[in-house]
Amino acid sequence: MGTFILDTLFEVCLQLVSEEQLALVSKKGPIFCIPPIVIGLTFGGTIVGIDGAFICGVIGMIVGAGELEVFTAIEDSLLQFLPKDSAEWKRSLGRPVRSVHIGANFTPFSSAGLPKGTQWDLIRQPLFHIYWTECNDVDVYKSTLKEDIELWLKELTSKDIQDWLIVVVENYDGKRSNKLLPRTTVLDKIRADFAPKQGDRCISVINPGKSDTTDSWKGLVNRIRHLLLVAYAKAVSRLEDHVRQQRERRNDSGWKFMDYFHLQEELAQVLEMLGLYDEALVQYDELDALFSQFVVNGVTCESVAWLHDFQAPLERWHALKLRPSHLPKNPSILELRVYLYAKQAHMLLLIDKVWQMASRCLPFLHTCTRELSILDITSPPGALECWLFLASMEVLQTCDKYNHADEVEAYSKHTAPLWAYASQKLKALGELCGLLPGSSPTSEQLHVVVGLSAGMGDNPGTPIAPSPTDKLKEALCSQDAFNKLYLELAELAMGTYKHTGRVRSARLVGKEVAAFYMLLGETQKAAAFLCDASRLFRQDGWHEVAAQTERELANCYKQAKDWRKFIRCCAHVSSSIDLDTLIRWTYFDEMRKQIDKLDKSLVVPFCDIIKITSVTVKNRGTIMQDSDIELECTVESNFPREILCSRVLVSLENEPAKRTDKYCKDRCLTEKDLRPPDGLLKRLKIQSHLDYKQDKQLSSVSVICKLGELKRKDSSPPVYSDFGKCVEAVKLPFLLTPGMNFMRLTTKASQTGKYHLGQMAIHIGQMQLVSLPLIPRLSIEVEDEGPSLRLYKNAAPLLAGIEQTMNVILTVGSYPIDSTLRIRLNASRGLAIQIHQDAPLTNSCEFEVGHQEVFSSTSRRLRVLADMMSKEEHQVTIICPWNPKPIVVGLSFTPPLTSTWKLYTVMQRKFVQICVKGQCQTDVIVENSNLIVGSDREVVSRNNEHIGIIQNGLTYTYLWELTINPKSKGSTVNAEFNITYRIKKFVMEPKLYQYFFDIVDYETLYILDAALEPAKGNEFCRVGFLCHLNLTIRNVGDKFERDPKTKSIMYEVLAEQSVWAVCGRTAGVISFDAALEPQPIVLDIMPLTSGYLSLPRIRISKYIPAEGNSGKNETHPRLEPFSSGQVYNASKGKQVHVIVTTNDGCSL
Amino acid sequence: MAVCVAIIGKDNSPKFLSSLNPDEELCFQYKILSSLDIVEEKIHGVNRATDNRELFLGLLYALETHKIYGYVTNTKMKFIIVVDSSNIALRDNEIRSMFRKIHSEYADIICNPFYIPGEPITFKSFANNIKNIMTGTV
Repeated sequence: MGTFILDTLFEVCLQLVSEEQLALVSKKGPIFCIPPIVIGLTFGGTIVGIDGAFICGVIGMIVGAGELEVFTAIEDSLLQFLPKDSAEWKRSLGRPVRSVHIGANFTPFSSAGLPKGTQWDLIRQPLFHIYWTECNDVDVYKSTLKEDIELWLKELTSKDIQDWLIVVVENYDGKRSNKLLPRTTVLDKIRADFAPKQGDRCISVINPGKSDTTDSWKGLVNRIRHLLLVAYAKAVSRLEDHVRQQRERRNDSGWKFMDYFHLQEELAQVLEMLGLYDEALVQYDELDALFSQFVVNGVTCESVAWLHDFQAPLERWHALKLRPSHLPKNPSILELRVYLYAKQAHMLLLIDKVWQMASRCLPFLHTCTRELSILDITSPPGALECWLFLASMEVLQTCDKYNHADEVEAYSKHTAPLWAYASQKLKALGELCGLLPGSSPTSEQLHVVVGLSAGMGDNPGTPIAPSPTDKLKEALCSQDAFNKLYLELAELAMGTYKHTGRVRSARLVGKEVAAFYMLLGETQKAAAFLCDASRLFRQDGWHEVAAQTERELANCYKQAKDWRKFIRCCAHVSSSIDLDTLIRWTYFDEMRKQIDKLDKSLVVPFCDIIKITSVTVKNRGTIMQDSDIELECTVESNFPREILCSRVLVSLENEPAKRTDKYCKDRCLTEKDLRPPDGLLKRLKIQSHLDYKQDKQLSSVSVICKLGELKRKDSSPPVYSDFGKCVEAVKLPFLLTPGMNFMRLTTKASQTGKYHLGQMAIHIGQMQLVSLPLIPRLSIEVEDEGPSLRLYKNAAPLLAGIEQTMNVILTVGSYPIDSTLRIRLNASRGLAIQIHQDAPLTNSCEFEVGHQEVFSSTSRRLRVLADMMSKEEHQVTIICPWNPKPIVVGLSFTPPLTSTWKLYTVMQRKFVQICVKGQCQTDVIVENSNLIVGSDREVVSRNNEHIGIIQNGLTYTYLWELTINPKSKGSTVNAEFNITYRIKKFVMEPKLYQYFFDIVDYETLYILDAALEPAKGNEFCRVGFLCHLNLTIRNVGDKFERDPKTKSIMYEVLAEQSVWAVCGRTAGVISFDAALEPQPIVLDIMPLTSGYLSLPRIRISKYIPAEGNSGKNETHPRLEPFSSGQVYNASKGKQVHVIVTTNDGCSL
Repeated sequence: MAVCVAIIGKDNSPKFLSSLNPDEELCFQYKILSSLDIVEEKIHGVNRATDNRELFLGLLYALETHKIYGYVTNTKMKFIIVVDSSNIALRDNEIRSMFRKIHSEYADIICNPFYIPGEPITFKSFANNIKNIMTGTV
């Protein structure tokens, strides 16, 4: 009957079921026991809410007694109203209150139909008893009714039934007069007689058929609902207790799992009918766990006798029926498991947890497989696979049926492995039955198919939607159908995996599909799957797995005779260090064989085959054009054996204008540079973060670490740079041995420019292994050098007046220059040059370049002679035809000797002193000094006539007395000093050195004298006492007429302030108008220190008085100094003795 | 007792793999590789556990023959343990403690100055220790 109820639930409508139908069902189900007396049983079904909300339903069986004709009148409306509202179901043990809807069946009372104590099928027993009466007459009640009710109650109490209700139906007639009198109605009587303490067990209702009786009707319905639930709760808790008791006895001998199973299932069914599917599920889960436990423990301890019932060999492997089904008698373990899972799945579907059903499927299947093996249950080969396939397919189909858009996501995660599982099982079956492509079933295998098909049983679906059983049967019969089904399942598995983001799982399924396609001979499809898989595995760094996949890929290409791809694949396989050496050798040899057959070149990226460990540019500094670029590389070969390389190249690429890649600062790329940066060792970007409140107060301080997102490796197509410019290995052919290989590469730098190293290529026959671009970039700069011309002088400074040589050095750079080109040198004024040895010195000269090798230089001697008289700085301008700008070389010449002269005066006599200074680094030998002063004058040499040697920086002094004829007094003397000199170092003729100078204003005009006298009465000059300085100025000149400026003079006493204190005037103006002898001037002066003191210095200057009328500029008088020869100061060098004051002691 | 233990880097490449039966190693590699999908899902999934401190990911998936458990460190290193399905005696708690032991072994290795983080772990002593954890002799 339980299944029957399930059916009605499924159809989700209120159904009234006739007795015939019920009888039909009961015949089918052997486990149902129908109460023997069921008269006029009506069956209330589940109720559906109009709005489609989830509705709980319960069917309680209510037994009616008493005046049944009264009841039948209101039965229909009662049936209709009971389930309309939900009622709260309160339960013991603190379990949550659930809201349930209840319906009811009514059945007339019969004492035989009452439940017995050992009967646990709650659904089919009367649960609640109602006595109906229409009696309104107290007298009738007393005479007959009371007795009847007593009998009824007695019977109930004898069966320990406390759930009853007495209903008095009143026909409302408006006469309520006797209501004023208490305890006069029948109801009152009944209440007093039967339920003095349980007032709610008696109720009166106004016959609903007659008038408006809503309130009383509602009251009745609610009362029935409430009491029915109370009865139910009691029954359920009794059942629960019983189940618990039974479970505790599970280790007793004689305990049978199946009996217990039915008991607990009863409980589950009750909960299910109450709409508490989740709680029903718990019951089934408990059964599941209990059984698992038994199986596991049953292996270890032998006490579980009933388990042997399940150990019969497997005979049926019918598909899973997720529709309501019933458990066959003496089920096999598989049938029991299936039934349990179907129940669980059903509950899950009812509470809309499709995904959980899917997720429980695989563990369920695993459990079954395991239990079968634990219990040593034999089954024909393939039977288990059949069943597993059917089961997973059934679940998948059910999932499809509940395909709500929002649930696909949830269950896809669980269906993907199921699809994969189903496909695996199918493949296993295919293997067993010889259905795989490329094989044909033997007769033995055909027998197996027949056996398997028979064991599956029949479960026909519709032609549009064939059942899994149909599909499997078809697949086992025909190879095409098998292929189609397998590929369909595998594709679905892959698709679902990908959809849920499980790429790796999808690729692994892809690998299996590829193997299948290989059998089918569809190598292209297989290769696509294998390629995808190996790429993903490489990306994840699972090299061994990737290598295995590549091995399969190689086999695939071999089958397809795609030799180019085969070679590429073999290269990878043979260089996979994770693989067995023998395997690698095999693939390596095959690769070599195929390389020889290649007709055009094949590019294979380095990947893991060859690793560049270091690259070094050996050249130092910039690389000159036409010189060799030298590289040293170390590469690690992962090939299992030696291989001969025809070429090894590293391409040179022009450096782009803007550097985008990382560049290496050095000239060497080490393994560390070439290794891709490790994200794990990257510095974390951590920064502090301050949060401020609105009022600028600090609210929080935190540390933020921005994690660098892991970048996906982009699969851009490999770049293949132009190897037109490249550095090539020196020794060819090169033998590439496994492990480290050192190689030298070189090329001639023929073109200038900036380059960087591009890629490395290793050619093995027609196979070209090409590396990734070498990053960081290693840049190489090739430069050219033009010819250059330089003018070099010797270490010593150049001397004027002497011919010296300089070196003109022409250097030819990286390219040759035309030998007929002429280079011109121009000298500045006063400088004579000549490059040819014999030709005379000129202002400019030129010469031809001549034939010269690159990177060589030639030196030519340039004779230079600077004029003694001209300035010291000279220039040589070099005009080269290859240089648009002339090169200007500055040269500075120093004369070997320099001279100064000075005039000395003693009274009227004049002396001329000439100092000659040596400027030459070596000694200069001088002789024959001579001073020429013109005709009217005479000079008297005061010198020693001998050969002098003047060292660098030293001076040599000559002195002559000049006597001037009085007639030519005052005229300028044009003097010439000459001397012959030789430079000691040079072999040269003595040369004449000339020095011209003019002597002017040499005539003595004034003679100055001064004397210091102590003050009167003093014998000595004393410190602190005034003395008199007598100043005498004598005019000795006779040229007042010629120069009026010298008429007035001003004298000044320039006394040292620490020595002398001049009291009174220090200066004065004297005019020598007449030929009068001027009076001596007396100045007061006080010595401040004692000892022999020099007299204060006295200076006289020409005094030019102010000329008021001549103009604005001449408003002040002016002073002009005399030239040195015009004044003779006789007091110069005079000293006076000043003694310390003696009366210092007296004053004390 | 586990049959295979693997340590997977945060870039999902294998750093260490040890199985009781070396012949089965490749087959375990496939299993562990596909389990990475589920690990990723659990780490990055929308409805991941709110408790970040829980490193144990639980059962990743079960096969007929094996069960695969996962554990992820705070630095997203993944530890995978493969257990024989028939070994029902092994409880979650024992798996957890096995993971914790592996974690502490790993922490020791990462402290080793001779180990470069991110490289495969090839230390013999480490392999021995892991073997001992697998066989339950520690």
